[in-house]
Amino acid sequence: MRRWLVFAGGWLLLSGWWLLVRADGPEPKRPHFTDIAPKSNFAYRTDNNFTGRKYFPQTMCGGVAALDFDNDGRMDLFFTNGAKLPELEKTDPRFYNCLLRNRGDGTFEDVTARAGLLGKDLGFSFGVAAGDYDNDGYEDLFVCNAGRNTLYHNNGDGTFTDVTERSGIGGKPKDVLSVAAAWFDYDNDGKLDLIVSNYTVWTPQTDKICAANGQEYYCHPKVYANVAHRLYHNLGNGRFEDVTEPSGFGKELGKGMGIAIADFNGDGFMDVFVANDTVRNFLFINQKDGTFKESGYEWGVAYDESGNAGSSMGADAKDYDNDGWPDLFYNNLKGQIWGLYRNMGGKFMNYVSGASRVSRLSARSSGWSNGFVDYNNDGWKDLYSSNGDIDNMGEISRQPDTMFENVDGKEFRDVSALLGADFSHAGFQRGSAFVDLNNDGFEDLVVTSLDEKPRILLNSADNGNHWLLVNTIGRRSNRDGIGAALKLTTASGRTLYNHVTTSDGFMSSSDKRVHFGLGAEKAIASLEIHWPSGLVQTLKKVRADQILTVKEPAK
Amino acid sequence: MRIAWRSAPGVVLMALAAWAQQPAGDVEAAIRGYREYLAAHPDSVQARSNLGVALARAGRYDEAIAEYDRALSASPDNPALLLNLGLAYYKTGRPAEAAIRFERASALAPQFKDQVTLLLASCYNSLGKYKQAIALLAPLEQAKSADPAFDYLYGTALIGDGQNGSGAAVIDRILSQGDSAEARLLRGTLKLRAHDYDAALADIEKAIALNDKLPGAHARLGELLLAKGESDRARTAFSAELVLDPDEFVSNLNMGVLAKRDQDYVEARRYFERALRARPNDPGVRYQVANVDLATGNADQARKTLEALIGESPDFAEAHASLATVYYRLDRRADGDRERALAQKLMDQRDAADTDARAR
Repeated sequence: MRRWLVFAGGWLLLSGWWLLVRADGPEPKRPHFTDIAPKSNFAYRTDNNFTGRKYFPQTMCGGVAALDFDNDGRMDLFFTNGAKLPELEKTDPRFYNCLLRNRGDGTFEDVTARAGLLGKDLGFSFGVAAGDYDNDGYEDLFVCNAGRNTLYHNNGDGTFTDVTERSGIGGKPKDVLSVAAAWFDYDNDGKLDLIVSNYTVWTPQTDKICAANGQEYYCHPKVYANVAHRLYHNLGNGRFEDVTEPSGFGKELGKGMGIAIADFNGDGFMDVFVANDTVRNFLFINQKDGTFKESGYEWGVAYDESGNAGSSMGADAKDYDNDGWPDLFYNNLKGQIWGLYRNMGGKFMNYVSGASRVSRLSARSSGWSNGFVDYNNDGWKDLYSSNGDIDNMGEISRQPDTMFENVDGKEFRDVSALLGADFSHAGFQRGSAFVDLNNDGFEDLVVTSLDEKPRILLNSADNGNHWLLVNTIGRRSNRDGIGAALKLTTASGRTLYNHVTTSDGFMSSSDKRVHFGLGAEKAIASLEIHWPSGLVQTLKKVRADQILTVKEPAK
Repeated sequence: MRIAWRSAPGVVLMALAAWAQQPAGDVEAAIRGYREYLAAHPDSVQARSNLGVALARAGRYDEAIAEYDRALSASPDNPALLLNLGLAYYKTGRPAEAAIRFERASALAPQFKDQVTLLLASCYNSLGKYKQAIALLAPLEQAKSADPAFDYLYGTALIGDGQNGSGAAVIDRILSQGDSAEARLLRGTLKLRAHDYDAALADIEKAIALNDKLPGAHARLGELLLAKGESDRARTAFSAELVLDPDEFVSNLNMGVLAKRDQDYVEARRYFERALRARPNDPGVRYQVANVDLATGNADQARKTLEALIGESPDFAEAHASLATVYYRLDRRADGDRERALAQKLMDQRDAADTDARAR
């Protein structure tokens, strides 16, 4: 009898749930993701050389960049890898970095050796940033390392040359761990500069051992010193100058993780947000004279709402509520609060993690790379995070990624479980890039995971929504157009905003083409581009569902 | 029973006192009797004090407190009254008010000291004043070490104060007398402090299984679940604690913080106000309230609270950091720059000490 009563109760509950769903109307059709990596033959696995001994940097491994290195119109992929420890050398091919050429048929060819990007002579590699620093039309690569950082110049023939030494970009204080970097043109002189996020000073010899109850764990970051992030000014002719001190970056010591680049105050100059691990976050506001003022306090993003510095990890700055101002999203570890901040008209940021439900949705996840991405092309940028615990202890240390779907720019709901089994794979996820690999107008995802092959998650692109991809080519501005701000107005008058950047998340670099989801709308009334040079270009009646290449006017 | 009001007052009071010792139904009758008596003899401290006792016995603590207060206004140094008033506050989960009365009763009448010590230590533990609890209890350790109630209070104070080795010894002593919810809770707390979450969970869940009404057990479970990132389950645990004791400090504070995370500021403020009932002037809670004020556009109120907090605790780094943001919002840039520099200096010092300690 008791069993029957329980059963009846269950039915009532289910009926209630069904009514609730019905009251909200039918659920929209959502794309899902399928891992196409197994179709390709490549050796790369993210290898942090974990053999039981826990070296501090092992938690950060597997940077990823999406770039079209051979200009064939298809985005290719580059991955960074670890090193043998304590030797801190890529002693074995399993530690080599990896370049995968997109064949255009859903498979990738490993061309690392031919391209000269194995990185045999590098130490433990972390982040990567793609950008055409010499404006020759070919995307170059900067790789962050424990050990020397490396600038690879794209020769335009499928090969790269390590130009670090002659570029002057390799200099940094001894034993500093550089973990992420971003290309941007801070002085709008038409040449891409570079900001490098540094974590701490570390060598295998100074590595500390932390243990409890006989079990070693990864030490708390506070065991290690804070360091300055570094800014390199592009002088042209392949030369860079370290301007860390004169620019003001040298005054602030942190434990840098992800970097987000955006013009937060709308003055036409790019600003820099750096997520710091267990140290307050930095927001460097460009003073337009070659210097920056760290303004995290003024903008309300230095700490969370309780004045705590969490373990900020990845970072991205995009306009999630389509009000024309870039907002901010950083993730951190489980039990902390992922930060979503709304830009209040270029004056300061309002913390909206709670009101948008992000705090509740994210409480159980430890996020690494992240970003705003309109995965379903409905015109609202969603929140993606690659997740996995720091350590391999505890019952939920392997974690699935999350996608929080944007509901009308006001709040988010967790749709992670609805995006397919490959998306829900649990692991120690780290780097991630957003990229349209098959040029179908829907954003795909590439995610690395410790001790695993990366997942190359193809978006099913099957919900019928429309889109536009804009490939900006600067003339007076830097050739990539990084920093260009785009405003799209649909035929119905809906306005959408985005800007050109390759930097998002943590250790990662995404498709530089600017993506717009248009929902059901097929017609675009206008596309306005504010170039870093100051030029404003307006295109009228743009066709949807195309990759539009826009060249900056010469004058 | 009918009282002859014209009898000698002493006789009447004795009769009422006997009546008040009877089961609850008679206690109500005694309360009525005392009230009638007090109508005729409003200055009788003894009657008012006994009315307070009767009200307290009936669970009507707020009324009891009012009567004790009136009696104390006539006889401010009466230690028995102070003790009774302290007990009423203690019963209503107001340890700060209780502690003040116990301290005074003990100072006025040393013979009450034995009665008061454990109560006062319990208040200190509730207020997070662990050092004061230890100072009270440590001299009694040898004499009372067989008393599990003493050990529980002493262990709580030691662990709260970070004296984990001594705390563990007390736990072992309790466990040597058999498994108990109290010992499990203490051990779970110790493991929670050591970030050994899985072991802590096992102990705290066992404590609740042994005694699901053990004060503080659900709150500790909530803290543990929060540390594990399981905020929904933590909410359930804190709510369970608040059913047992609506004024429990840890649960109110954490529920407030969780509501603030969700930007439900009305609810957050309600919880923080309850937390402040248990620990009036608690700087951590006032700091949270200031942040609620800042988030809800009351920057000037936030400024006042933060300035007061900094006046009391100049090394409160987070308060300096929040005050910097408040000043910037109020367009007081110079003040903002000053507070920012102070916050940074304090945090750098703390980080350096932390780095040093962790490295050791």
